[in-house]
Amino acid sequence: MSATKRSNSLLILFFLLVLTGATIADELRVSASADPNQITADDLITFTIQIEGTSDFPNVPPPQSPDFVIVAGPSQSSSIQIINGRMNASKMISWRLAPTKTGKLVIPPVSITYRRNVYKTEPVTVNVLGQSASQPPAKQNPPAQQPNTSQGAGVLLKAIPSKTTIYKGEELGVAFTLYFKNVRTYAPKKLPDAKGFWIEEFPIKTEPEVTTENLNGVTYKKAIIKRLALFPTTSGDLVIDPFVIDVEVIVPSQKRRSIFDDFFDDSFFDNSFGEAKVVSVSSSPVRVTVRDLPESGKPSNYSGAVGRFTISASIDTAETTEDQALTLKYQISGTGNVGSLKMPELQLPNTLEVFEPKIGKSVNNQGNAISGTVTYEYVLIPRSSGLIRIPPVTFSYFDPNRDGYVSVTARGFDVRVNPKGKMFASDQSGLNKEEVSLLGQDIRFIRRDNSGWNKIGSSVFSEIWFWLLTISSVVIFSGAFGFRWWAEKMVTNISFARKRRALPKSQKGFAQLDEKMKLGDLSDFASILNQILVNFISDRLNLPSAGISTPEIEVCLKKKGVPEETVSRVVVILSELEQLRFLPSAADAERYSILVKEEKELITLLSKAI
Amino acid sequence: MNVREIFIVIWVSLTSMAFAGNDQSADYLFEKGNTAYQNENYSEAIDQYQSILALGLESGSLYYNLGNAYYRTGAIGLAILNYERALKWLPNDENVRFNLKLANLTVKDRIDPPPEFFLFRWVRQATNLLSSRGWGLLVAIFLFIASVAVAVLTLAEAKRFRTSLKYLTGISAAIVLISVAAMIPRHRIETGQNAGIIIHYSVRSLAAPQEGSTELFIVHEGTKVAILDKDGDWLKIELIDGKQGWIPADDIGTI
Repeated sequence: MSATKRSNSLLILFFLLVLTGATIADELRVSASADPNQITADDLITFTIQIEGTSDFPNVPPPQSPDFVIVAGPSQSSSIQIINGRMNASKMISWRLAPTKTGKLVIPPVSITYRRNVYKTEPVTVNVLGQSASQPPAKQNPPAQQPNTSQGAGVLLKAIPSKTTIYKGEELGVAFTLYFKNVRTYAPKKLPDAKGFWIEEFPIKTEPEVTTENLNGVTYKKAIIKRLALFPTTSGDLVIDPFVIDVEVIVPSQKRRSIFDDFFDDSFFDNSFGEAKVVSVSSSPVRVTVRDLPESGKPSNYSGAVGRFTISASIDTAETTEDQALTLKYQISGTGNVGSLKMPELQLPNTLEVFEPKIGKSVNNQGNAISGTVTYEYVLIPRSSGLIRIPPVTFSYFDPNRDGYVSVTARGFDVRVNPKGKMFASDQSGLNKEEVSLLGQDIRFIRRDNSGWNKIGSSVFSEIWFWLLTISSVVIFSGAFGFRWWAEKMVTNISFARKRRALPKSQKGFAQLDEKMKLGDLSDFASILNQILVNFISDRLNLPSAGISTPEIEVCLKKKGVPEETVSRVVVILSELEQLRFLPSAADAERYSILVKEEKELITLLSKAI
Repeated sequence: MNVREIFIVIWVSLTSMAFAGNDQSADYLFEKGNTAYQNENYSEAIDQYQSILALGLESGSLYYNLGNAYYRTGAIGLAILNYERALKWLPNDENVRFNLKLANLTVKDRIDPPPEFFLFRWVRQATNLLSSRGWGLLVAIFLFIASVAVAVLTLAEAKRFRTSLKYLTGISAAIVLISVAAMIPRHRIETGQNAGIIIHYSVRSLAAPQEGSTELFIVHEGTKVAILDKDGDWLKIELIDGKQGWIPADDIGTI
């Protein structure tokens, strides 16, 4: 407090100096020192950094060393000297450090940035001696028992752990006991920090109970000033950092040292005849070994609870209706690591909709051990009716006293879920909401319009128009395709075309003959008549029409299966016509007309046969 | 061929004339029935409506009104039967559906039909847009158009209209296909005899089509059943939940 005040006034002075144009030392000198250089593992050192050469002091970072813990500091002091108009300012920043191990320890250089330059202190070596043979380092119970004497002030602070080897999650009690002769007051300066622990503090009475104890031949008064419960959350070797307090001690006045000393060297008089002095007292770091929980016998649903617990379950109703919420509550209570209690997974039926539970935690630090209660409140909504079975829940914890796992069970419940619409009379059961509202209504009125009459049992297939239209469509369709097919064949297929055209061609020939007959022109009548028959036969059979002889025609007709009689008639008429071709006058008009008739008959017969 | 065509034309005109006569008397009876219903003379209305059915004619409105008349007299089974028949002709009519729903509330056997898959429901609703005659008319007209268009395409060299004729043929063919697909289910609904309504209060269903055989279950008035088989005066029915049995044909009205 006073130091800051002083530095404030220094600042003002410095500003004045700047304004009057006083030269400012550009050079900055930094140095580091440790006092004392040689200590035991339980002692503290004072690490000091001194800056000289400037008065606008830069920020100084704390020393970074894995081998030391800062238990107090920084404390600062500065001075300014002006010699021959030249200002010389210096500043000292110091920390109290506790070593974490023994041996030759090095505090690495501290870098100080000043006006863009980096100044480094030299590394400082501290020799930490191992403890005496009777007190080997670490693990020996308790390493913190070695008192941390505060330079004859008659005050020491001890951290007393309940155990030095514990299971992960097990409660570790640490009592900080102050041994003192003449202490007026104390105030905590730095609370013990412990990485890897969940810490709960026990309340301490404002007026701690004071007892006396003889320590190494000296009688001390003793009081427990702080009690902690620590729950390790990781395993391995863990350190609980020192607890530092400021103690106002009464040092007997040097002047008063006289023959009355013995008489006055009494606590009763200390307060009145002593001189008050503030001393920092630090406890030693506590080292504990944390073991992992045994794997053998670990239940599958184990979730990290260590201590002693009970579980209970309750439900707000045993009978409900569909879509109506239920509250299911589980309560786990007991002593142990309440902070890391976790509810095992619930095995609920699918017909239940489960919402995120409401979790309540209360920790009780009264008494000798940390106890507490964790409640899980689940809201469940049944989505279908019937009997719902909520199974019992098993919660497992590790009991360090029994060195084994224990399982406790909360009871299960059977919940009857009634269907939603069961509020109506039984004879109408099964009606849904919409139907119930329909019950009060009447049927709609008759229809006066009529869209027309249908014959009973008839459909579109009994309508004539349907069949007429459909069949005519089919006829048009197939007719068109048939015609197309015929026309194409007439063009592409010669034999087909000849065969189709044979009859019309012969009829044309006959018509020509009739014309000739009327005119009385009988010249080449026989030749034409012969040609008609030969052409007809050759067209029908797709034979070359020119130069075909009568025997050839006979053979072909017989091959086609034409009746014998018809064939002979064809042969007879052809041979007669053959003769008449060269002797046209051998026959008269009457004979010709008979021949024409015979030929027409033959063509009719042949058109059916071939 | 020609003779046959002439005969068909004559027969068609004759029958349509005969129907026209029937239609007029049916209209008259329908009006009489409606008046009787309005005067709350329900049995009279039933008589009038039934005499139209006796003429061999039916319509959606007739069945609906008849159902209403039966509902008023308390014959729930017959009321439901006639509403169901009305639905054949007026598949999307809201009044018919409402009255059927109301009548079904009083049915003793409550068997809820399983929900219909939405695609099937859409298809069913689409086929119900027209009666079989409506679909048939579409089939016939567009088949005719398509065949004429095809005939022109095959026979004439109508170069200018070729593309449009092809489109016309394609569209007509598509309409014909869709209409045939809708017409056939509609035809089955209109002529189908495969569903029925129990019209008597309580009917025993037997294991075999003869009196005295094992009684399987009892169905009550108004229950809709599927008709699977017929043996003399007995019908084999199936309930929605799959139960089967034989009941006398008198106890059931086919939809």
